[in-house]
Amino acid sequence: MSKEIITSKITGDSCIHVKHKSGLDIYIREMKGFSSVYALFGTKYGSINTMFRTSADKEYTTVPEGISHFLEHKLFENEDCGVFELYAQTGANGNAFTSFDRTCYIFSCSKNYTKNLRILLDFVQKPYFTKENVEKEQGIIGQEIQMTNDNPEWRLLFNMLKAMYHNHPVRIDIAGTVDSIAEIDADLLYKCYSTFYNLNNMALSIAGNVDEDEVLAICDELLKPCEDNGLETVFPAEPDEVVRNTITEKLPVGTTIFQLGYKCHTENDSEKQAKKYLVASIASMLISVKSSDLYTRLIEDNIINTTFDSEVFAGNGYFVVIFSGESEKPEEVRKAVAEEFSKIVQNGVCEDDFRRIKKVIYGSLIRQQNNVAVVASSMMNNYINSIGPFYDIDTFSDITSEDVYNFIKTELTPDKSVLSVIEKAGD
Amino acid sequence: MNYKREVIGDNIGFSTIIDEKFNTCSLSVKFITELDSGYTAENEMLSGMLSMSNGKIKSFSEMNKTMQELYAASISGRTNTVGYTQVITFSASWICNRFALENENITESMLEIVHDCIFSPNTENSAFDSKNFKICQKCLIDDINSILNDKREYAIMQAKKTAFKGEPIENSFIEIEDAEKVTPESVFKAYEHLLETSQIEIFYVAPEENTAVSEMFRKGFSEITRNSRQYTIYSNSPIKAKPEKVTEELPVNQSKMILLLKSDSDDSYAMNMLSIILGGTPVSKLFMNVREKLSLCYYCSCRYIKNNVILIESGVDKENIQKAYDEIFNQIEEIRNGNISEEEMQAVIKAIDDSLSGVGDTPVQYVNWYFDRFCAGEIITPHQYFDKFCSVTKESIIDTAKSLKPDTSYYLINKEISE
Repeated sequence: MSKEIITSKITGDSCIHVKHKSGLDIYIREMKGFSSVYALFGTKYGSINTMFRTSADKEYTTVPEGISHFLEHKLFENEDCGVFELYAQTGANGNAFTSFDRTCYIFSCSKNYTKNLRILLDFVQKPYFTKENVEKEQGIIGQEIQMTNDNPEWRLLFNMLKAMYHNHPVRIDIAGTVDSIAEIDADLLYKCYSTFYNLNNMALSIAGNVDEDEVLAICDELLKPCEDNGLETVFPAEPDEVVRNTITEKLPVGTTIFQLGYKCHTENDSEKQAKKYLVASIASMLISVKSSDLYTRLIEDNIINTTFDSEVFAGNGYFVVIFSGESEKPEEVRKAVAEEFSKIVQNGVCEDDFRRIKKVIYGSLIRQQNNVAVVASSMMNNYINSIGPFYDIDTFSDITSEDVYNFIKTELTPDKSVLSVIEKAGD
Repeated sequence: MNYKREVIGDNIGFSTIIDEKFNTCSLSVKFITELDSGYTAENEMLSGMLSMSNGKIKSFSEMNKTMQELYAASISGRTNTVGYTQVITFSASWICNRFALENENITESMLEIVHDCIFSPNTENSAFDSKNFKICQKCLIDDINSILNDKREYAIMQAKKTAFKGEPIENSFIEIEDAEKVTPESVFKAYEHLLETSQIEIFYVAPEENTAVSEMFRKGFSEITRNSRQYTIYSNSPIKAKPEKVTEELPVNQSKMILLLKSDSDDSYAMNMLSIILGGTPVSKLFMNVREKLSLCYYCSCRYIKNNVILIESGVDKENIQKAYDEIFNQIEEIRNGNISEEEMQAVIKAIDDSLSGVGDTPVQYVNWYFDRFCAGEIITPHQYFDKFCSVTKESIIDTAKSLKPDTSYYLINKEISE
């Protein structure tokens, strides 16, 4: 077991990182004065991990879409009782989520955190899948899928990803489909569990009113040592080109919504990918912040409203810069964004805008330290991205306007863009 | 933590919450007004108008640039309905001066901006600036239209429209035509009305005292002729003599069922606990039976809407609506028959205890807590509040369940299936 204290050179905040003898990475942040505790027990296993093998396997296994999410639901059922019943005895709020590249089990509480930590570490290491409880869950998840199918924002995103990626599984829905989850059985769940819920592929992140020694004592007691299973996940080759540049669907919505995505190259090195993420964030903010020329022009011309925003969406094998919002004229937004990037390529990045955006990022990072849940989630996020807990905080100040210029010039080109639109049905 | 509330003017409360763990300063100014003032649509826009510019910083773009220079400081506005009143909130937040990289006095700059936004807004000839007005009006119209994008929220809104028909809350559902009628002049009149008549509660949350904040507001409001009114924020919603059922069809994959039940009970603590036992947690009766046992839905939950209303919602296939409906009422009947275990009572108490113990871990939580208590007419600590829940008996929960009467049921049905 190794232990280190990691301190941010920017904020001065520290956390403890332990590489536990069980194989688990543990991140602890004691936050004085706070009452609550937020903990995540997570694995690098999400909807994109559809093809994999371990050192014990000769062949790759391909699994049905939505199985990581299905597994997350099923872990909440122990052999003797449901996990929520255990949390009900302490008053904690237990939950979980599955995304493209991770599954995390969470609790938040203000009392009894040691009991809650025991519940969390215990149930995630104790799968119980049967034919009956798998069949029961198919009805519940089927309804969850129907619910998300009615969510236009969700459809907008997946339409864009389908139009952008030819092969990468980021294009498939996290929960799968009613048909794909019908293929899931208990054996397949155990196979995925034993592959991805190996502690060498997992981390615990806990922040708030906690004591490092108490946390580590519980980990020593409950974590079951794991041999590294030599997990290998693979993704099909993905061309640089997008599938198509525009995708539109009609749904019963009140306003037309859009996402304009730029497909970018990914980096194999995790720190390079993380730095690229920061550079891309600044590049997108240059034109999407509410003070930018583009924003001012489009809002004054009634083309966008205050929902216009940008984000960077990236993971293993995918990297997209997204502009989104409500607009009756999404093609005009696309044209205006492309023109704005073209101007930057011609004239360079405005140093004053760049300086202000760095101030915004700095201020936002300071604010984050006010929030127990955000601190714990951020440590988990960085673990999943295979970077240090303060890597992004400490790296952003080194980014130059030249980095941003080069990113815009090489990555944000119109031929790599996809405009996804959800229009009002009947228009 | 150190909390104190002082009265700084006619019906104006100023609460200071000092907690040294925070690295930010937050201000929240809440104007409480009636829902039938004739200015509900104007007030919706006012919260945005006040925060996007002021008499000195005239444009939205310039205001945002200023916020960026102050390390992502923020000012924002929000209007919502609390009981029988409309609350217009103006908020500001910024990092403490000690984090400034170039020794800027962030707090001083922000107080000046906040002062100008509230007391010296961007107006001319008794009208708000027309350029900013157009942006705000479009946003309001788009907001109204976009409610349909979220089917769950849309269904709840439609159910509430029926449940609160004929009551002041009805005015909170602003229609497109209302938003289109608003003018820069009418927003200005609403602004004057608000400053003159509303009840005002101000909250300042920071790591250290700063008397300049309360002084700024004391002085600002002393220059305004106040003729404030005292509002009754919560009162019971009348129970319909005959329950009303509304069905709407849309091309959706999943149907939505919203049930509103009303009680003649005044025991808000028992009502709250009843709603949690019935459908407020993942071990509640609705979750365990409608979802887990019958696999009918992904969500089936219940929440307490002050003062005498509980709302039950579920997303189900059309063909399972009746089954889910029957099971929901079966579970209510179970409670009426006294089927509440000691474990269920304890689970609710523990969940409330845990939740209340965390009040104050963010500045927003502090503001929400103290404002919520102010609206309830009972400024007490989380600990005192918790004691009130502990004194609720199983019998009072059963009695409250017996007093529940179906008032409104709303169904959003898959169009293709129903045809």
